Amino acid sequence: MKITVGKGSCGIAAGADAVFDLLSEKAPCPVTVTGCVGACYLEPIVNVDTGGAVRTYVKVDENGALEIVKLLAGEENSAGDYAMKPEDGENGQRIALRNCGLINPENIDDYMERDGYKAAEKCARSLSPPQVIQEIKISGRCGRGGAGFPTWFKWQAARDSEGDKKYVICNADEGDPGAFMDRAILEGDPHAVIEGMIIAAYAIGADEGIVYVRAEYPLAIVRLEKALEQSREKGFLGENAFGGGDLPEAARRFDIRIKEGAGAFVCGEETALIASLEGERGMPRLKPPFPAQKGYRKKPSNINNVETYANIPWIIRNGGEAFAAIGTEKSKGTKVFALTGKIAKGGLAEVPMGCTVGDVVYKNGGGVKDGKELKAVQLGGPSGGCIPKRLTDTEIDYGSLAATGAIMGSGGMVVMDETTCMVDMARFFLDFTCKESCGKCTHCRIGNRRMLEILERICRGEGKEGDIELLTELGGEIKAGSLCALGQTAPNPVLTTIRYFRNEYEEHIVDKKCAARQCKPLLTFSIDGEKCAGCTLCAKKCPYGAIDGAVKSAHAIDAEKCVKCGSCADVCKFGAVNTK
Amino acid sequence: MIKLTVNSKEITADAGKTILEIARENGIEIPTLCQDERTQMYGSCGLCTVEIGDSPRLFRACSTYAEDKMVVRTDTRRIRENRKVALELLLSDHTGDCRPPCSLACPAETNCQEYARLIAEGDYGRAWSLIREKVPFPASIGRVCPRPCEEACRRRLADEPVAIAALKAFAGDFPGEEKASAPPTGKKVAVIGGGPGGLSAAYYLRLKGHGVTVFDAQPEAGGMLRYGIPEYRLPKDILRREIDLIVQTGVEIKTGVKVGRDMTLDGLRGEFDAVIAAVGAWSSSGMRCPGEDLGGVIGGIDFLRGVAEGGGVSIGGKVAVVGGGNTAMDACRTALRLGAGEVYCVYRRTREEMPAEKDEIVQAEEEGVIFRFLAAPAEITGGADGKVEGVRLQIMRLGEPDASGRRAPVPVPGEEEVLRVDTVISAIGQKPELSGFEALEKTKWGTIITDERTFMTGLSGVFAVGDATGKGADIAVSAIGEGRKCAEAVDAFLTAGGFPVAESPYLVKSEKTPEDFSEVEKRPRVKIKNRPASERARDFRETGAGFSKEEAGREASRCLSCGCGDYYDCKLIKYANRYAVRPERFGGAVHRYKVPDDDHPEIVRNPEKCILCGLCVRVCEEVKGICALGFSGRGFDTTVKPALDARLRDTACDSCGECARACPTGAIMTRKPPESP
Repeated sequence: MKITVGKGSCGIAAGADAVFDLLSEKAPCPVTVTGCVGACYLEPIVNVDTGGAVRTYVKVDENGALEIVKLLAGEENSAGDYAMKPEDGENGQRIALRNCGLINPENIDDYMERDGYKAAEKCARSLSPPQVIQEIKISGRCGRGGAGFPTWFKWQAARDSEGDKKYVICNADEGDPGAFMDRAILEGDPHAVIEGMIIAAYAIGADEGIVYVRAEYPLAIVRLEKALEQSREKGFLGENAFGGGDLPEAARRFDIRIKEGAGAFVCGEETALIASLEGERGMPRLKPPFPAQKGYRKKPSNINNVETYANIPWIIRNGGEAFAAIGTEKSKGTKVFALTGKIAKGGLAEVPMGCTVGDVVYKNGGGVKDGKELKAVQLGGPSGGCIPKRLTDTEIDYGSLAATGAIMGSGGMVVMDETTCMVDMARFFLDFTCKESCGKCTHCRIGNRRMLEILERICRGEGKEGDIELLTELGGEIKAGSLCALGQTAPNPVLTTIRYFRNEYEEHIVDKKCAARQCKPLLTFSIDGEKCAGCTLCAKKCPYGAIDGAVKSAHAIDAEKCVKCGSCADVCKFGAVNTK
Repeated sequence: MIKLTVNSKEITADAGKTILEIARENGIEIPTLCQDERTQMYGSCGLCTVEIGDSPRLFRACSTYAEDKMVVRTDTRRIRENRKVALELLLSDHTGDCRPPCSLACPAETNCQEYARLIAEGDYGRAWSLIREKVPFPASIGRVCPRPCEEACRRRLADEPVAIAALKAFAGDFPGEEKASAPPTGKKVAVIGGGPGGLSAAYYLRLKGHGVTVFDAQPEAGGMLRYGIPEYRLPKDILRREIDLIVQTGVEIKTGVKVGRDMTLDGLRGEFDAVIAAVGAWSSSGMRCPGEDLGGVIGGIDFLRGVAEGGGVSIGGKVAVVGGGNTAMDACRTALRLGAGEVYCVYRRTREEMPAEKDEIVQAEEEGVIFRFLAAPAEITGGADGKVEGVRLQIMRLGEPDASGRRAPVPVPGEEEVLRVDTVISAIGQKPELSGFEALEKTKWGTIITDERTFMTGLSGVFAVGDATGKGADIAVSAIGEGRKCAEAVDAFLTAGGFPVAESPYLVKSEKTPEDFSEVEKRPRVKIKNRPASERARDFRETGAGFSKEEAGREASRCLSCGCGDYYDCKLIKYANRYAVRPERFGGAVHRYKVPDDDHPEIVRNPEKCILCGLCVRVCEEVKGICALGFSGRGFDTTVKPALDARLRDTACDSCGECARACPTGAIMTRKPPESP
């Protein structure tokens, strides 16, 4: 018998530490940890393995933990309220997330029990580096970091580049607001990434690997460090890896180290990432030369994203054909999406390419939270675009998504309902990219800032005729004139919202109205005398003394004094504050 | 070798070169602000974008290697738009003053800042030559100009404006080398009128190699400078000396000849390839009140001219001068010098509204002129002999502001006053006298209509400048500016047969407040030393002495050098003009930086002009291996500065100045600014 507590960052945030401690103290069996299974909205999740069957309990608090203890002590009816509903058990088709939430990420044996390091062994024993690359080529695997470049091509280029030393680098600088699949993989299955890197290193002839991981992922770093240690102990990394034998020299000494990034979004761009690794300012540079030609320390370097590496062992074990069998003609395999925003079931969803955006939102995500109407889905984070409700039957593959103006990106999917103002949403993402611009290119540095200023004034009710055209023109020039993907994609949220929700922009500019009631300067606050109970709470809260009224009689807002902060609406328990 | 097509032109080039390199080798210019052969490719400015083949993308020419059979376009509409937006974005956060406010305020566009610097450095001859590129009469104009430059001078916000005009007069005493005239063109130009406008046009046309004849109705050339400005303000010897220099360049001056009397406009048109009318405004406007025809009533201009011609003007002991402009002041002070015991200045508004120069008003007052404000002549009364006995004055008060922005004088009903005088001088305005020019179209003010840009009248080949045109009488330096610009137009007319499209260039300008100059060390303006009022009011000798060399140097060094020292080399402004930018449409946040460490012995930094091309950083690091500068901050707030906020002088900087040379704008300069070409 065994108890497993989900202790990814999401689980811990939901209170898994206390549950784990309580169970460790009171349960009559070993209690172990696992990573995020993807159902973040159900955390903390506890699995009880009674030998024959595994029962899952969700949203377990301390009371739930005690119930589980009682259950194990023989009280049959305990913990029933915490049992996972059958419809929440849907796990999707898992390749990248195959071990997440199932194994103890801090124990290499767990990983090895599930065929861990067998792919690396297979490479070391029976596949030549070109054969490895060939297998990846057959799989049709494209990079999952955002750009969607064929993985084999990068490997081949790095392999073909002359160099006395080569590097494999893992880009774990996951920075999109609303994206957390890389973190989940590093926290839940770090060995999958390590094994993927070992295989890549073998394929291109690298003897050193670096994981560039953002310092904001402390748990991922700890688990990765432990995993590296264990992997070295088992002889998969470091001197005499895989027993040496007739392996190429580089593979016999391949090892991986961690480099913590300071959190600049642009360092997810590979040339900026290399600059940061070298101790330089994280600023993209011109390509060519590509990293595969001249990368880290001017040596051939292969950079892939966490999710990409995590897929590699599966592909080698099951063959490229098996991977290619999943997905569409042009986009193969699966993709992990991080579902956030106004979604009922927030978390991770790994789905085969070719399913629709709507499938992910409604099937995996359980639809919009609180039964509201879906308005749009922002795909690809601040670099991506929005897909309106009417286009949710768009298939998930690189081409179809690009046609909508959005991008696959790293897989952040922010779900928006009718209460989301699209202008404000575009402003939010652009604000992010402006802050994260490295400042190098004219178009990105100043252009995006100017776009943001225009959006800000539209949201303030100071939009002018011609602003939409100016945004469109400027956005187009920024995309054309910027050097790296950050600048080239930064206007996307604005351009796609203009494309699909132009009426909202016009409403803000011409009528000075925000139908979603998010842009406070455009709202008028008033109190519904029928509903107001005269509790005086709003009057007490109002920082500007704009609300007047006697106890137990209807209050009123003085529009002259009101600064539209919304605190009255926030505190009103009777829903008496109207915004228009 | 590879073959590629650039702008439909087949080009053969060595492999391994960028599109930018190949374009340059073939004389195709692609703009760039961040590229330097000595440094690695960088690609930040976004100006060198080109189109390649059918690709929908734009490529950076500085970093895209040419390939065989590549088809490159470097100047399509789309590319121009993208470059224009890049320039507009850069300019939307680029603060400074391309040109100093003094030069912008000067109708003749004199390089005030630069001649002040030359005077401060003791290089008087070059200061003189520089002024004469715009103004042929430094000594004369320096004495008489109402100085719009000093009105605009930024030093005013720190303490007092620089004495720009007095410095010009000073430089006028140190003639440098005369510019050589271009080889003869064989073209002949007639200039009618030898005043400041006509002579300027003549001088600059002569320098361009044209034959020039000036016809003047007066016995001597000089126009209003000769006959309108009294001797005590501008000694005629000084003017003569400056006119002589013009004559020495080969300009022929014929005096005592008048169109409409001695010759006709048509005749001149037949004889010359072009004609410039610069006849001035010599007729005094009337006061439009009864008694104007009485003996003892004189027009201001007629009075001053009479005196300048040497006699023939007699005035009484009590004189009323009507008007508040410079001509009125000249008339008042001249009347005093002719021996009038009481001189009144009658003006219908108050002292604040007087258009005369403040200094002139002060000097007139010191000399004993009695001001009678808020009064307008209602009638000039005379005796039986038909001579003036007095002026009946209508008392006024100030009403609402009028079109000129000044408060309009309104009569106070029933309030009158009588001034007992025997001479009345009317100095309330002047207008041109245009008999002989009937063929030219006139404005409602009776002035000649000209094209604003080319100065040409309705008659082909006939041009006009100065007081006789447009809105009428203006200051001398305006006529000089028009004369020079007209010379350029006439030159184009004669040599190219048309006019160049000379739009006024785009310039970056900034607003400043006294706070911006709070740290400037206060240094009072060097004053011209005037002779005591009691002494100077008795003779026509010049009222004050000009600057000594020491004074001139001291005053010139007060100049704050507001104009960008990089103006003539600035690539940003060059491209801005080429791409006809409109940065105001991208108005938004603008960075204001305090120059962080303005104590480096050789290098001056101005981050407000930085466009983050990174050349200074890269040259310092890659060429010099010093790394004194680096980037700081992110995104829009990125700046260039030494690491850890060190002062530049405390870094390894060896003052080589390479950063300043590499900088495409004026964000980093060496202490000695570059000179105009």
